[in-house]
Amino acid sequence: MNNRLLGVIDATTYHKGLDELTLHRSLAAVPFAGRYRLIDFILSNMVNSGIESVAIFPKYQYRSLMDHLGSGKNWDLDRKRDGLFFFPSPMIDSSNSGIGSFNHFAANIDYFYRSSQDYALIANCYTVCNIDFSPVLQRHIQSGCDITSIQQLNQPLEMYLVKKDLLIEMIQTRRQTGYTCISDIMADIHQPYTICHYEYKGEAVTIDSVHSYFQASMELLTPDVWKNLFSRDFPIYTKVKDEPPTRYLNGCEVKNAIVANGCQIEGKVENSIIARGVKVGKNTIVRNSVIMQKCEIQEGCVLDSVILDKDVKIETGTCLTGTQSVPFVVKKGSIQGALMNS
Amino acid sequence: MTNKKCVAMLLAGGKGSRLNSLTKDLAKPAVPFGGKYRIIDFTLSNCTNSGIDTVGVLTQYQPLILNSYIGIGSAWDLDRRNGGVTVLPPYSESSEVKWYTGTASAIYQNINYLEQHNPEYVLILSGDHIYKMNYDLMLDYHINKEADATISVIEVPWHETNRFGIMNTSVDMRIEEFEEKPEQAKNNLASMGIYIFKWSVLNEFLQKDNQNKDSSHDFGKDIIPEMLKLNKKLYAYPFSGYWKDVGTVQSLWEANMDLLDENCELNLFDQNWRIYSVNPNHPPQYISPQAKVKQSLVNEGCTIEGKVIKSVLFQGVAIDKGSVIKESVVMPNTRIGKNVILEKVIVPSNMVIPDGTVIKERKETSEALLITPDSICHYA
Repeated sequence: MNNRLLGVIDATTYHKGLDELTLHRSLAAVPFAGRYRLIDFILSNMVNSGIESVAIFPKYQYRSLMDHLGSGKNWDLDRKRDGLFFFPSPMIDSSNSGIGSFNHFAANIDYFYRSSQDYALIANCYTVCNIDFSPVLQRHIQSGCDITSIQQLNQPLEMYLVKKDLLIEMIQTRRQTGYTCISDIMADIHQPYTICHYEYKGEAVTIDSVHSYFQASMELLTPDVWKNLFSRDFPIYTKVKDEPPTRYLNGCEVKNAIVANGCQIEGKVENSIIARGVKVGKNTIVRNSVIMQKCEIQEGCVLDSVILDKDVKIETGTCLTGTQSVPFVVKKGSIQGALMNS
Repeated sequence: MTNKKCVAMLLAGGKGSRLNSLTKDLAKPAVPFGGKYRIIDFTLSNCTNSGIDTVGVLTQYQPLILNSYIGIGSAWDLDRRNGGVTVLPPYSESSEVKWYTGTASAIYQNINYLEQHNPEYVLILSGDHIYKMNYDLMLDYHINKEADATISVIEVPWHETNRFGIMNTSVDMRIEEFEEKPEQAKNNLASMGIYIFKWSVLNEFLQKDNQNKDSSHDFGKDIIPEMLKLNKKLYAYPFSGYWKDVGTVQSLWEANMDLLDENCELNLFDQNWRIYSVNPNHPPQYISPQAKVKQSLVNEGCTIEGKVIKSVLFQGVAIDKGSVIKESVVMPNTRIGKNVILEKVIVPSNMVIPDGTVIKERKETSEALLITPDSICHYA
């Protein structure tokens, strides 16, 4: 690809349906698949496609996102030339804007002027996929289109490829044209640009509600989905944690589960996603659930169709049950005892 | 450059010949251990956790993998502006190439490195052992005793004293005599190969030892006896806890099995004394609906569709349907086919075990078996 493409990740999105998981963190930093955050997928896809300069535009609660990304080292983006850029814009209020807010870009227009790359890929932060952008760029250049929109089964994935000069022009003329973001242009049938579509054939899921989060998590247990998302040649990178291997103790029973490192499992786990550093106590049953990092589930509990956010403690003998369509969500850092059962 | 209080010199040139084919193209400190680590991770993590930020790693035998593994030391937080980790291979001078002929000669040949940091104390470590130890407490002890040298010791069973260097000490732990592998031991305090020296004193003895044509240039055989002869103040620092030299296939297997014991003293889950290692970045492990996993340590990137009992699986291991892995250690990225039965074996990295391989109930020996690419075809 010869470093012709800039990566731009719009991490300003806020989905009301994900409130319970985004109270303390930006959507981009929502944990997924046991050891990742949502942004890891798009960011790793970009890096694997040869993109060397990535700009992240965050808005809400971005402390956890910054902590996660750090210098970009885990994605090989701590570079002297190019690398990872972080452009928070606290003064800009454009919560209703679609993907690729021109106001945000305008506040950091220098980034676009100073970069040597000719093209920009503008992407959202909540699509879980494993996509190679090199053929998209190739097609974009060959077709001579102004904007290439990546889609799946005619549904846009909200990832757009555009020539950088044209993007700068769109940003500069946003007051005259009235377009506030790329999505605006895409939505207007009278817009003046030529638009091409690129059909992505791999696995892609959009996380925009607790329901879709839960469903996408459960689908990871399908071997084909799993293999598609985590290929050896296009790895998904994340922040490393130095957790020891997971320990399966005597008496544990684990079936159809995805388990990250640093767990200590003594109970029964079935059809579940278990994140890093989780403890599952003796005689406890965890079924059809998503357990985020460092949760401690003590002895004799029963959890079915539950999402435990980070650092949750479930005390001995607690029963929590949700349904497949409405999982029971326990907020980050809370303690659930048997007596305060709901 | 500011002077360092204490600089660590980590001897990582060990050949580990008794580990057979595991160390054919790998230095012993780089041998995988515990589902995720390499042996040297324990010593390097101990340094970081003890607040020692300047570590010279002396390599010699098969250094390629070890060198690239250590890199600039960032995995152990040892990529420091001042100090950090420095790999010190043998080098040539105008007249000759100077291989490290003994532990002391390895340090002697890197006097320049030590002088660059000009420390008050030098900590000599070996990259061959599995243990967790706070070197800072040992340094405090060394300073309080006003010792010239302090040697860390551990109580070993009396019947094993003939395998170790034994320290005979006075009541206040001053070392009076050092016996290398004694037939009739007077004491059961064994040297752990961990020394702290006053740098000025060590420097003097290294210079002298280098002049001595009859010396084997070894700390245990030459430097320590010489210091005792000249009545220097040598103290033993008693250590208790898990400590293991994984010098043989059997002891490497045993040490891995130790980790599966719920009461094992070597706690890998201690947040306050983490063992750091280079993280290979694999997805989480997948346990299939047919799989069974019990009393095991499993690292990320594993796919388990068979049965795993009392075993240690490293990253990226795949175990296909119908296979049973029992009391075994499977090293990184090895694929085990269908209907394989493995009992009490060590499977090295990147192997493919063909469908239907059965290795169990060996009569001739009860020791753990190391599978090799050559031997595997006899079982398939």
